[in-house]
Amino acid sequence: MIFERSKNGNFRFSRIHPLLGELLQAIAIDPWERYPEGSMRLLPSPGQSEDLEDLRLDWQDHVQPGLRHHFDLERAVVSEDLACMIQRKGKIPSWTLEISPDHSDAWLTTLNALRLALAEEHRFTEKDLSGKMPSDLETERGLALMQVNFYAFIQECLLQAIEDESGV
Amino acid sequence: MQGMNQPGLLDAPEAELSENLDLPWLVVVHNDPVNLMSYVAMVFRRIFGWTRERAERHMMEVHTKGRSVVWGGGREQAEHYVQQLHSFLLLATLEKSS
Repeated sequence: MIFERSKNGNFRFSRIHPLLGELLQAIAIDPWERYPEGSMRLLPSPGQSEDLEDLRLDWQDHVQPGLRHHFDLERAVVSEDLACMIQRKGKIPSWTLEISPDHSDAWLTTLNALRLALAEEHRFTEKDLSGKMPSDLETERGLALMQVNFYAFIQECLLQAIEDESGV
Repeated sequence: MQGMNQPGLLDAPEAELSENLDLPWLVVVHNDPVNLMSYVAMVFRRIFGWTRERAERHMMEVHTKGRSVVWGGGREQAEHYVQQLHSFLLLATLEKSS
């Protein structure tokens, strides 16, 4: 897989292997539907102390629905980009994905949400996520770990490109 | 999240600091093993308008010490910052300054 800026300024991933193409398509899934337990992490409490009980209730009623709506809108942007992926025919068909810089925030948020939900669902530890543990792809947990790491790679590519663009 | 000077209030710009001295609410960001370090630093820069150095200092504090106080001041503004941090999926809480 190659990551570069295209002539029109978009972020472009090309020569995407079909397996990785499938993992990319999975970004569009609704984490609340697919990982209901893990998705609890996406809407954390604003505080634990007793004197914040009123704030916690207010958060549940007003803030969290707004946040969830925000995450859904960001995921819809990502879904549209994924629907525009182009398949190149060949011995091993590959995919090309282009992301407008205007969509980069939606991608970062959606990738992060899915990684967090997956990690919470499978109770991944810092050690699991350090990259030193081999992924056993014959298990659901191993596949999930590979997904989390692959999505982190996509995030890193986008973050680096944004950093380069800002020139700071 | 895959030493620093005292952060937060002591690290705040002068004007912000003097305004906030008697205000007791802190915004705390907690470590988690999933959020990328570069992502956390980017979020700090976006929300608080910090320099890269300051954002990375707080990010490293979260990573090494498990938490970092990123802001101190009035409750309403603190709630607003916690909400913004949650919109970027960081683990942030509001705490009363002791």
